[in-house]
Amino acid sequence: MATVAAKPEVFSRKASGLSRVMSPWSAFMYNFLTMGVIFPWTFVWAPAAFPGVSVWRACLFAILLELPIALAYVWMATAMPRSGGDYVFQSRVLGGAIGFPVVMSGFVIWILQWVALAGWLLATLGVAPLFMGLGVYYDNAGLIDAAVWAQSAQGHVIISIIGAAAMAALLVAGFKNYVRLQYFMFAATGILVVVLLVQFLRTSPEQFATALNHFSSVVDGRTDYYHWVQKDVADAGVNLLPKFALGATLLAMPIVWTSLQWATYSVEQGGEIKGARVFKNQMFIIVGSMVAMGISLAVLAWAEERAVGTAFFNAVSHSYYYVVSASGDGIGSVLPFPGMFAIVISPNPIITILVATCFILASLQITCNCYIGMTRVMVGMSLDRTLPAWLSKVSPRYRSPMNAHLIYFLLGCVAIYGYNYWAQWYSLTLGVTFACGYVFMISCLAAALMPYRAKALYDASPGAKYTLGGFPLVTIFGIIGFVFGLLALIAFLSNAAYGLKGTTPYIVVAGVFLVSLVGYWIGRAYQKGKGIDVNYAFLEVPPE
Amino acid sequence: MAFWKKKDDAGSRQTRVFYATDIHGSERTFRKFLNGAKFYKVDHIIMGGDITGKFLVPIVHERDSHYRVTLQGATESIDGDSALQAVKDRVETLGFYHVTLEEDALHAMQESQGEIDALFRRLGRERLERWIALADERLAGTSVKWYVTGGNDDPMDVLSVLEGIDSDHVVNCEGRVVLMDDRYPMANCGYSNPTPWDTPREVEEEALEEHLERAVHGIEDFSSTIFNFHVPPYDCTLDDCPKLDWSTDPPTPVVVAGVAQSAPAGSTAVRKMLEKYQPLLQLTGHIHESRGLVKVGRTTVINPGSEYGEGILRGCIVNLQPGKVVGYQMTSG
Repeated sequence: MATVAAKPEVFSRKASGLSRVMSPWSAFMYNFLTMGVIFPWTFVWAPAAFPGVSVWRACLFAILLELPIALAYVWMATAMPRSGGDYVFQSRVLGGAIGFPVVMSGFVIWILQWVALAGWLLATLGVAPLFMGLGVYYDNAGLIDAAVWAQSAQGHVIISIIGAAAMAALLVAGFKNYVRLQYFMFAATGILVVVLLVQFLRTSPEQFATALNHFSSVVDGRTDYYHWVQKDVADAGVNLLPKFALGATLLAMPIVWTSLQWATYSVEQGGEIKGARVFKNQMFIIVGSMVAMGISLAVLAWAEERAVGTAFFNAVSHSYYYVVSASGDGIGSVLPFPGMFAIVISPNPIITILVATCFILASLQITCNCYIGMTRVMVGMSLDRTLPAWLSKVSPRYRSPMNAHLIYFLLGCVAIYGYNYWAQWYSLTLGVTFACGYVFMISCLAAALMPYRAKALYDASPGAKYTLGGFPLVTIFGIIGFVFGLLALIAFLSNAAYGLKGTTPYIVVAGVFLVSLVGYWIGRAYQKGKGIDVNYAFLEVPPE
Repeated sequence: MAFWKKKDDAGSRQTRVFYATDIHGSERTFRKFLNGAKFYKVDHIIMGGDITGKFLVPIVHERDSHYRVTLQGATESIDGDSALQAVKDRVETLGFYHVTLEEDALHAMQESQGEIDALFRRLGRERLERWIALADERLAGTSVKWYVTGGNDDPMDVLSVLEGIDSDHVVNCEGRVVLMDDRYPMANCGYSNPTPWDTPREVEEEALEEHLERAVHGIEDFSSTIFNFHVPPYDCTLDDCPKLDWSTDPPTPVVVAGVAQSAPAGSTAVRKMLEKYQPLLQLTGHIHESRGLVKVGRTTVINPGSEYGEGILRGCIVNLQPGKVVGYQMTSG
């Protein structure tokens, strides 16, 4: 039985120490924002992919899918509270030959695609609705044309590169500059959730239909668009009011998982979080943020479907995501995203600017997350000598890894261009989430094996005292998380409804992994020529 | 498979050293450090200071074989000898000292800072003595030497163990020049510039410069010289850490408009020495969070960082030839 002592029972002496600057609350928010309440695909994609799905229930079920993964990460994060997260976990437990190619391919290379996606979010959910909402309010064709341009490939590329360049410059100029902006980004996301909910909860489908018809008539010159789009999709043979299907709802879980899996992203900054070794802090940061986001997504999905009507909710999903259209005219310029609908409901300058600004800031946050997480991983790899030393060089002037940021920006520009101008590349979007998913899965495997392959590390961790039937709990959660992750990945790979069509995405994903693996062995051989064995970066020295 | 291997200069074989620092009393980290000689296949191992532990954990005897301990913020009960030993091992891994005592003795100690300080010093000396004996045992039969100096956190009372040391493998470097492998003069200094923690061996920059000048005294050619200075040079990026408010105990991060401020905490005196003498290499530490390598002029400066509390041995393998750092490898063992 534990005894609570009246006085502190540990004595300390005057000695210097390490200070960490990121509070658990900031880390919680960082994860919450990374999971992206602004990502629209759960709402836009799931209804068409799996007819009969209850999107809000799928969001809640996905919490259960991610839970063992998040718990396995809690153990890892408390055992190894270091920057570079997944790379550190995998390389220290499974070895560099696994950790490097998995994280290099699944994160460093594929997250370049997220730079492009964040630019797309910026243009489509931020800039375009801003111009469109104002254009409708002021009946200004120039503003509406600007909105349509922002949704074009050229608009996406230019807006994405401006956003990526601005955030790279901000981060290179110093992390504290970013932290200042981060508070506005935090606030923007909070405001956004509230505004979206208020807009949806105060609107009935009839009111929404009236508002949308007016909006669409100004933008596209269409009349009674609300009913027209439903008929256009129904005439193509789609049942707009399918019966609730539990199977379809369960199949939609991996789509929601593509958001919730990022609840673990704070581990990439583990070395900067205060009390990172404290179990309850990591539970709050990782599990807490995941549950909060899962509930937020569920509430938003329920509120949106309630406001716009289930038939319309399903119709625009088919029309936008699978381009289902009996007439061939398609979705038009009013894209079916929650932010746009919030503006449609009240196309006045205040709501328009508020919603659009919040989306712009939230999109830029995603860009920053790409840079922050991946430049840290690259610096870690560089210090391990698996990437060139040039990448970990810290600018004496700006005190930031300028080279890593610069290279990531330039490669991000390539991803932005390819994503917006090459249809095949666009089809790889799902490959990204798939690829990132295998990183989480392998980290779960590392968690499961940590008590056996990194015993000393595990024994010294606060999670070592938790066992079930003699088995370390981290092994149990790690195995369950690995299996859940594997099932989600098998689903992505085997079911075309998740978006992987044709052989190209598979070849590209495998090719990226292979390139990373070959890169690792080339780097290893190069360092060996200088008397350096990169394996030493990962191997634990036996204490006895 | 060395595709890019270059031929060494004739007659200049490489000297391979393993450097670690700031282990702050961690038993497990130290044992790893000693084993690093064989594991990393190096010629010598170098310790950069701050070897003394920071915390003292009383293990309170409650009754029979029942004890309690407060560790990492939580109070735990201990039943039996094996559980007691497991707790002692954990405490030592964390770099803390432990003492087993009765409830009355704990209360007496809680009232007497002098008693706590004396116990810290005694346990610090005992651990260092044990480490030296362990080094002689583990390095026996090899030509490996452990070059050791103190840091700003190490009280002179504890470091006195190193004076007059009689060992084939342990070399006390504190405040002097030693010649490593007959080719690399190594100047050593564990003092630091002022810190917010008011540590045992910190002095003003002017005084530190005097310590450093004494430490390099006698070196004529700096082209192959190593500076084993605990503190990094000022404003070199390896000395970045959160800016702290010195008026609080313990010091707290300075936050302005919600933003935690960072600042260089290195020494201007060390920087001056580096720019003046331009040695081949400076091995440094002190700032645990700023692991990395930079060039200051011709000098390669290495801070391997520290994560002793997790039982992790952060270090750096350095391959040397006269006048040249051939290669390096940060490690996390």
